[in-house]
Amino acid sequence: MTDRDMIVCRCEEVSYGELVDTAGQFACNSRELKLRTRAGMGYCGGRTCRSSVDAIALAAAERDNTQITLKYQPPVRPVHFGDLGAISND
Amino acid sequence: MRDLIIIGSGPAGLTAAITAAEHGLDILVIDEYLKPGGRLLGQLYEEPGGNWWNGIEESRKLSERAGALGLDIRLGVSVHNIEQENGSWLVYTDRETFEAKSLLLATGAAEAPVAIPGWTLPGVMSVGAAQVMTNVHRVKPGQKGVIIGVNVLSSAIAMELHIAGIEVAAIALPKNNRVNGSAAIPTEVMNALLHVSHMAPSAFVKMGSKLMKNEFMKKMGITFYPKNGVRMWDIPVMLRKAVIRIEGTDQVEGVTLATVTADGKVISGTEEVIGCDFVCIAGGLYPLAELAALTGCPFYHIDELGGSVPLHSEDMRTPLDGLYVAGNITGIEGAKVAMSQGKTAALSIAKDLGKDIAEASLSEAIRQISSTRSDAHIQFHQDVEVGRRKLQEYWEQHATGKRNILV
Repeated sequence: MTDRDMIVCRCEEVSYGELVDTAGQFACNSRELKLRTRAGMGYCGGRTCRSSVDAIALAAAERDNTQITLKYQPPVRPVHFGDLGAISND
Repeated sequence: MRDLIIIGSGPAGLTAAITAAEHGLDILVIDEYLKPGGRLLGQLYEEPGGNWWNGIEESRKLSERAGALGLDIRLGVSVHNIEQENGSWLVYTDRETFEAKSLLLATGAAEAPVAIPGWTLPGVMSVGAAQVMTNVHRVKPGQKGVIIGVNVLSSAIAMELHIAGIEVAAIALPKNNRVNGSAAIPTEVMNALLHVSHMAPSAFVKMGSKLMKNEFMKKMGITFYPKNGVRMWDIPVMLRKAVIRIEGTDQVEGVTLATVTADGKVISGTEEVIGCDFVCIAGGLYPLAELAALTGCPFYHIDELGGSVPLHSEDMRTPLDGLYVAGNITGIEGAKVAMSQGKTAALSIAKDLGKDIAEASLSEAIRQISSTRSDAHIQFHQDVEVGRRKLQEYWEQHATGKRNILV
């Protein structure tokens, strides 16, 4: 296996090659790289590949120290729909 | 309504809970894990002077004090969202929603992976996972392992695996690519390691730290660094070899190593395979600040603190009313610093809730954070104090800006 075939985002099965090519082609920041490839948009919410996606994007674009590169959104842990919307009926 | 919810029962969260309870606050502590103690549970190392820091023992002491104070600690509960509403904090978990006047985030750190072909094979785990298996669950992660990533955390855990009788065949660099960055460059890794050379019972590294004050000597040092590594606790630490592939069909069977140049380029023809049945990847720690990020709290990326951290003052207040932080969420440091931050946060919270806290005891607690930091045996980043000063400047700018708006 080469670097290009290596999976970076396991949930959405996005490879290193796809991320590097996309970052190169569009000179994108982390958010745009995520939206174009779906890396970090799977079941785990990007908890595993976030830093890798960031690193690939930051090789092409400068970091803005005042921003979080990939926004966090609730729920930050996988949660059952029942628990998410649970309203007690009593 | 409760006075305070603390998310995280590690060294920072537990110390804060104990301090806050001693000042009469009504508290709930929540933790995702099954045992209290957080990352303390994995820690075991020798301090200068021959004392051993036994994290399990430290967490037991904290839990006993918490128990004596009758603290409500809910384990195995995951928080998936937090919100501020009508002056109180709502904490949404996979069990129920809790509410309190104030909220302390003591969520610690997370581990970053490294990217090596084969890293998704069964048998590859983060170095912290191997530590938890070994020291907490007392299960061997395997018979023989290779650690990828040479840093303070991986060196400390290699030693713990060694003590537990688990063979570590090598600690080596990850191969150079865009993800692994400077962790794959021998000269950069050498620089980062020189400040922790006192940890290594190796004459070579100790000598190195004295000699390598200038760039030329550092370059010479890495050029002449033994290709088969320097042995630390009988484990070869390889700064001139990188793992270029993790081998295996259905699970880890070995790794392919290659010699690399001082700037991390693979020298072809030097590839060799080492057999092993588990691999630890050690990409370093970063502050686990996702909950703080949901609140709109300002963030700053500070390399010396390990990543993006929520803006906070030295008394652990954030710009948001009733929201406080302590421990590794504020920057990557040792457990003792986390404990002193937890104590400080609890005093600030008690004060803000109208308890009688003398200004002197709060400033003494802040002073103790700095002194604990200067005395720390292990520094995860050599310039952590620079990082703390940067953050303090951001805090002052923020406070000034706010005053201007009010005027």
